Amino acid sequence: MRKQHATVRFCGIAGDGIVTSGKVFSGAAADMGLDVLVNDNFSAEIRGLGKSTTDIRVSPTRVRSMGDGIDALVAMSVGESIPEIKDIKSDGFVIFDCENTPEAREEHGLPEHIPDNLGSFAVPLKRLSNENARSTIARNIVSMGALSYLLGLPPDIFTELIERKLSKKGDKVVQRNIDAFLAGRSYCDEHYGPHTTLDTPEDSEAKKLITGNQAVAQGALDCGLKFFAGYPITPATTIMEIVARELPKLGGWMLQAEDEIAALGAVVGASFAGKRAMTSTAGPGLALMSEMINMAVMSEIPIVIANVQRGGPSTGLPTKVEQGDLNIAMYGGSGDSPRVVMAPTNAEECYSGIQFAFDIAERFQTPVIFLSDLFLGQRTEVDRIERKIERDRSTRVSPSEEELGNYNRFTDTDTGISPWVIPGEPGALYSVTGLEHSETGNPNFDAQVHLRMQEKRYRKFETLQKELPKPQIIGDEDAEIGLSCWGSVRGAVIEAMEIAREEGVKSKLIVSMMINPQREEDFRAFFDSCSEVIIPEMNHSGQYAALMKSRYGIRPHEMHFPGVTPVSPRKIADKIKEVQNELATETSRLAIV
Amino acid sequence: MNLLQKRHVLQSFERAKATKARKHRDTLPTWCPGCGHFTPLQALYEAMEQQHIDSKDFVLVSGIGCSGRFPFFIKGFGLHALHGRAVPIATGVKLANPELEVVIVGGDGDGVGIGGGHFPHAARSNFDLTYLLLDNAIYGLTKGQTSPTSPMGMVSATSPYGNISKPLNASTMALTYGATFVARVFSQDRDECTRLIGEAMKHKGFSLVHVLSPCIEFHKTVTYESVQSEVAKLPSDYEPTDRVQALVLSESQDPIYTGLFLKEEGPTYHDRVNEIVKKFEEPVREEAIVV
Repeated sequence: MRKQHATVRFCGIAGDGIVTSGKVFSGAAADMGLDVLVNDNFSAEIRGLGKSTTDIRVSPTRVRSMGDGIDALVAMSVGESIPEIKDIKSDGFVIFDCENTPEAREEHGLPEHIPDNLGSFAVPLKRLSNENARSTIARNIVSMGALSYLLGLPPDIFTELIERKLSKKGDKVVQRNIDAFLAGRSYCDEHYGPHTTLDTPEDSEAKKLITGNQAVAQGALDCGLKFFAGYPITPATTIMEIVARELPKLGGWMLQAEDEIAALGAVVGASFAGKRAMTSTAGPGLALMSEMINMAVMSEIPIVIANVQRGGPSTGLPTKVEQGDLNIAMYGGSGDSPRVVMAPTNAEECYSGIQFAFDIAERFQTPVIFLSDLFLGQRTEVDRIERKIERDRSTRVSPSEEELGNYNRFTDTDTGISPWVIPGEPGALYSVTGLEHSETGNPNFDAQVHLRMQEKRYRKFETLQKELPKPQIIGDEDAEIGLSCWGSVRGAVIEAMEIAREEGVKSKLIVSMMINPQREEDFRAFFDSCSEVIIPEMNHSGQYAALMKSRYGIRPHEMHFPGVTPVSPRKIADKIKEVQNELATETSRLAIV
Repeated sequence: MNLLQKRHVLQSFERAKATKARKHRDTLPTWCPGCGHFTPLQALYEAMEQQHIDSKDFVLVSGIGCSGRFPFFIKGFGLHALHGRAVPIATGVKLANPELEVVIVGGDGDGVGIGGGHFPHAARSNFDLTYLLLDNAIYGLTKGQTSPTSPMGMVSATSPYGNISKPLNASTMALTYGATFVARVFSQDRDECTRLIGEAMKHKGFSLVHVLSPCIEFHKTVTYESVQSEVAKLPSDYEPTDRVQALVLSESQDPIYTGLFLKEEGPTYHDRVNEIVKKFEEPVREEAIVV
């Protein structure tokens, strides 16, 4: 059977080498020139037999989401894998461990759960690993051999990859793993024969892979990050780790602070001293940072916070995805506290977006909260980033000679942006405060001053709104159904629109990395052009939908996915069709009247 | 307060108002006449003059409380920050631009109450910062509530039956946390205050100056008279080199010692950063930074 694209799932417990399997399979697929998306799903415990799965979706064309269902399941353990069988598509298959020969399979406990229509391949993973690698540790490599054979993929790219990845461990280890891999293949060849033939692309140029968190770190390092302070928190820690390693090479520094409050405090200090500075965190950390964000709003200090959202509330679901931090990002603070909120939708936007975040923060002297999420931050995708390296980049508005003559730190201007002198520069001295202050920066609690300064702080956002790039509008312009979404859901929405289109229903999508402020005329015009609007998002209360409703007065169909796993394109496609159907009935009923 | 003491504090107030403050800042201090905070403010003026610190290179970071308004009374750059967060913010300023002279000013509630979690880490890391902790053993700006350094038994609106928790000792804390310069002064002793704040600013590394600065408005028990009767200078032959000996003396309640407890020379955090960054000084190829 030929297949255009496929999703494979490795399932097991900690110690089964699930994440490694995902890396090897996705690496080999990328080397073949396939497009790849990998989603790891593991428990929050380091040991204790936590369940771990990794999904790899591959295709010769662009993979936008994890899709619906899987084509192959590699069951490294029994109990954990049984519930996964229901996700296998009707023409899919399972690979599982058996003691010795296919005849011994019944002892295993798993096969009785495999429906007859599925391919069922028992492979003695442990035995072949023991025979070839002198240990059971290579059983995931044996399963890789079996999987590659059953999918009709050539062996050389896998063996080359194994050699490359393991070369540091010596020739012996490389050879044992290659032997284990080939043993898995020849066992299937001997006992079963190929099951599926997966199409490989004609343009087989090898592809580089990247995660969203890597892209955020890379983007920041490339646009002049000089100082980073952070506190470890899943799933944002990898950003901090990369910066810790790379920033000293550029003369900068990563400070591991005692808590998130101190981390953002140090960032505020470094920004006050004129350096591009950021922190990364997740929901609980963002909650701790609220007061400091507020102070940065009041004292007009630029800060960039990359917040990788995980399940909440509270400590919540540290290793599972959810889009639950929009409200705290938008509104988490005392008083009227405007801030920029951005949400990248893929790795390219993680890279370009964080650079834009720095440009905005520095020019507009404002906090920018950059809302990535666990799925986007940790997933592996093909690196399509166009590097833009400007390590001395600055968008700071400095005063002219004339302005310096009569300098006030918070001069009220048409744009709301006050020219900014940094400590160490001659010609102006000032103090800033979290208290309300006049143009000089000195505390002032006069009603007129408060009014004027509030207007000034909000005016910066009006200026910014005019400078923003246009939102993306995707799909059929004449469609009646419009969608809007934010963050990593975008991929699934576009795929859902394609599915719906194939099934006869047209739709269109408006999506922007900018959540606040937004180019409101463009959004308003888009919503005006739709008969119905659908807003899918990964949270329980519909935080983005609530924002859209209050900002544009629309009444959308809301889809609230609970998070934990990425969004299903099929469900969104069905919703598009359902809403179109309702529209059709509505129209005909009107016609009868 | 006896007549002599009263004259002394009023003098310091007048002096701050009339001379130094005018020279150093357009805004006059807003504290109550006789407040203990005038002395460290003057000491800062003196230190800046004596050490020829250019105003443009001077950054004062303060917390919230009566002491929080320091930045507005000084010619330089100031950051009047959040309650308890002056220490990490100052850390960021100093690491971003080590050329700046960065001084932190905060009170007892700010430093060892709400901000108590930051103090140990700044001390152990040995950031090159000077921390003036002005201890009046009360929350003054909120009109006289019990603070983490208030003595046991102290009656206030928030401890109407007397404070039942032991007070913290900021000098002892700094010594245990690994600060490399720890001094305690009584704000009435203007010369000692000026000398030690100057020394602290010259010191490379994390310096704490624990200033006993009575609140004349709200404190009924920790007053100029009570502090005067409790303090004594460290023995004249005391060498500030032994941390354990320093701890013994800083813990003494009778008398409460003032003076320089400890001064240790050694690399600061930034010196250590430089050691690491230096390794990469070969021009790094742009493409080399691939994550």
